[in-house]
Amino acid sequence: MTTRASHTLPKEQVRTELALEGVWRVVVLNDPVNLMSYVVLVFKKVFGFDEQTARTKMLEVHEQGRSIVWSGLREKAEAYVFTLQQWHLTAILEPDETH
Amino acid sequence: MKRIEVKLALPVVAPLLDVIKMLGDSLRSNLAAPIALQDLDPDFKAAWVDELLLAQNGEITTLLGLFDDEFFSEGIVAFDEGNAEPIVRACAAVRLHLRERYLKPLGDETLESGDIDLVTLDEPLRKAFMCYLFLATIQELIIQHLDESILGS
Repeated sequence: MTTRASHTLPKEQVRTELALEGVWRVVVLNDPVNLMSYVVLVFKKVFGFDEQTARTKMLEVHEQGRSIVWSGLREKAEAYVFTLQQWHLTAILEPDETH
Repeated sequence: MKRIEVKLALPVVAPLLDVIKMLGDSLRSNLAAPIALQDLDPDFKAAWVDELLLAQNGEITTLLGLFDDEFFSEGIVAFDEGNAEPIVRACAAVRLHLRERYLKPLGDETLESGDIDLVTLDEPLRKAFMCYLFLATIQELIIQHLDESILGS
């Protein structure tokens, strides 16, 4: 005889899953070390930006300390953060409150 | 395959290699750019760190591999499509670690501008800063000549 498993999720898990829903921003933070030309290269390589877009984003990082480089689902946003880490850039995720 | 060869001044570069090797050893168990995400699942984060360290160590091994017998006999190093990406990334990692370990006294603004009179620095700091500049030069060479190889890979 088998017993039917409960499909009720623990409250903590529900809260976590809800928190991870929605749209997330990938934000690259400035560092004083990486060359401007290197950051432009990384943006072109990782996000497929053209030269002008990559330069604009790089200058935002340099002058404002941060730039939003992508927004979308959490899972893909995390994958972008991981890839940026592979290039030794510092990135964080923020919920996109406009969605 | 596009390849560039660069002849380096052996007496200038050779003394910097000890610094690069030492930092490379330190980076075996430390990420050059620590993960800044706060809300990652701990197991997931540990898996990330392991994978990032593996990649970082491979890049640094490739960078150190530049300085082989040909370098010590002829002063020549070669960059191509195969090593451009790992080397440009390894240079970033070591430069970040140089700042962390040695260059913080210079201040970030000075570090960004690069406007420093080398003769005013004491020997360990001067060597670290020369290493920092040397690695930036390698990065610039690769980005200038092999960026299409990196973007196309």
